[in-house]
Amino acid sequence: MRSDERVFLLGEDIGHFGGAFGVTAGLYEEFGADRVIDTPIAEEGFVGAAIGAAWQGERPVVELQFADFASCPFDMIVTVAAKTHWRSGLAVPIVIRAPNGGGIRGGPFHASSPEGWFVGVPGLKVVCPGTIEDAYGLLRAAIEDDDPVMFFEHKALGSAATVITYGAGVELALGLEHDVEVLDLRTLWPLDREAVLDSIGRTSRALVLQEAARSAGVASHVLALLAAEGFELLDAPPVVLAPPDTPVPFAPELEDAYLPSAQVLAAAVEDLLGY
Amino acid sequence: MATETRLELFRLMLLQRTFEERTSALYRQGRISGSLYDGLGQEAVAAAAGLALEEGDVVAPLNRELATHFARGVTPADAFRNFLGRGNGPTFGRDGNMHFGVPARGVFPLVSMLGNLCPVVVGAALAFKRRGEPHVGLTFLGEGAFSVGDVHEGLNLAGVWQVPAVFILQSHGYSYSTPSSAQMVNTNLAERIQGGWSIPATRIDGTDVLLAFESIKAAVERARAGEGPQAVECVTLRGHGHAAHDDARYVPAELRESFIGRDPIERLEATLQQTGLAEQANAVRRAVVEEIAAALAEAEAAPAPDPATMEHGVYAHPL
Repeated sequence: MRSDERVFLLGEDIGHFGGAFGVTAGLYEEFGADRVIDTPIAEEGFVGAAIGAAWQGERPVVELQFADFASCPFDMIVTVAAKTHWRSGLAVPIVIRAPNGGGIRGGPFHASSPEGWFVGVPGLKVVCPGTIEDAYGLLRAAIEDDDPVMFFEHKALGSAATVITYGAGVELALGLEHDVEVLDLRTLWPLDREAVLDSIGRTSRALVLQEAARSAGVASHVLALLAAEGFELLDAPPVVLAPPDTPVPFAPELEDAYLPSAQVLAAAVEDLLGY
Repeated sequence: MATETRLELFRLMLLQRTFEERTSALYRQGRISGSLYDGLGQEAVAAAAGLALEEGDVVAPLNRELATHFARGVTPADAFRNFLGRGNGPTFGRDGNMHFGVPARGVFPLVSMLGNLCPVVVGAALAFKRRGEPHVGLTFLGEGAFSVGDVHEGLNLAGVWQVPAVFILQSHGYSYSTPSSAQMVNTNLAERIQGGWSIPATRIDGTDVLLAFESIKAAVERARAGEGPQAVECVTLRGHGHAAHDDARYVPAELRESFIGRDPIERLEATLQQTGLAEQANAVRRAVVEEIAAALAEAEAAPAPDPATMEHGVYAHPL
């Protein structure tokens, strides 16, 4: 949006509220109501309007609040957007973002993965990123594309949790199979407050992992920061995974129990995600 | 009204009428495939709306508004090439009859799902408003479209966003075979659009092309001046059936009789004759007949589409 004035957003609750999943958070404040347009509940209407704006050279990006709602503007997408270039030479550069997938207890109308409805429709491009980095690159490419693009973004994409750690904890965290952001602090003091708050702004869940004893390290400072400045960002109480407040024991049974293990970390992340 | 404007309205209506008489003959001869729709009796609305627009304005015509295309600079040869499915027509032989548009002329290609283009035109008007450009988007809505949800959404968005969109309501009595009374309770569309969506609307006799032009032109200029969306309901009677296969036997004789003497072309021709323009009107008639004949010859000589190109253009940029 900073690099192309033609790009503007249409969708339900995407303005001041920042979108049901917070994807457009901050954009209304930066770009204003002319470029982040809150619409009435009318998917046929605003997808159609996006097509019309694209006809006139704009680059609209539509947010469907849930991918399930793609059934409402289906006709606009497959009848108007997909077929227009083939039958007239007029390109329709619109992007329709649609959060798909479950895991949020959304039930039959808020957790579907309807990307298959659009696969095989000539004239449509259907993309679905697997990581945050991919989502950025693919979304940029989709907006620059001259064809209509269905952009399915999984609700859990990057929105799971942040593991804040350093040193040997980084490798342990990177080994997690869960969808987490790993924030490698590198510099422990002064704390990179911005990096911590940015990440929690995306994920809403924090786990601090350290090998230092629970009360003697950086974790307390991260928790203090989250309590003071990140409270509104959190969807769950932050978790600290660290050894107990004792010296390091010698016997293998004791040291193994003392150090955070991959299994304990995985269980803690599981609890945090399930909160 | 300026003489040139009256003669131009006459020419546009005649172009549509003559073109459609020709396509009707070609259809019966089996030289046009598929189905065929015309706008007999509604030419005044199409001509007036097309002529009311300025350079840079855009329009999405429907089934019965060929004169709108012609007013925007789409040629009868362009249109014939589409009806005949020629490779160099506006849809390259991929779509037929009046299912076409010419984006270079600001004319959006019609889709069959009537009602869909209402929000599309609202979006084009939104683009004009965002950029501060003094242009207007115009489209048409028949009675059938008022049963379609998209139309409500489009009208509502136009009102909420206060965009320069103009809606021409084609009240011609029927949606295919269904009378308006079976589509809606209140068949006064202007009243509904004004009361329901707070969009200023007037209701006029759509067979009076001079009145239609003045009303639509005023609506277009109000929209252009920043007064938000506008609507004009044009009351006519669909002269033929929904399409060429439909003989419209379901239209009651009394309704047909009530429109006798209200042919829009004959009405304007009579006033032209009364104001000393009979000779100019005859010259227009001759020129239109010649233009249509030449356009048809040009389209018939045009190449058929090449099946090898079938997959071209599915995407603007193939991956």
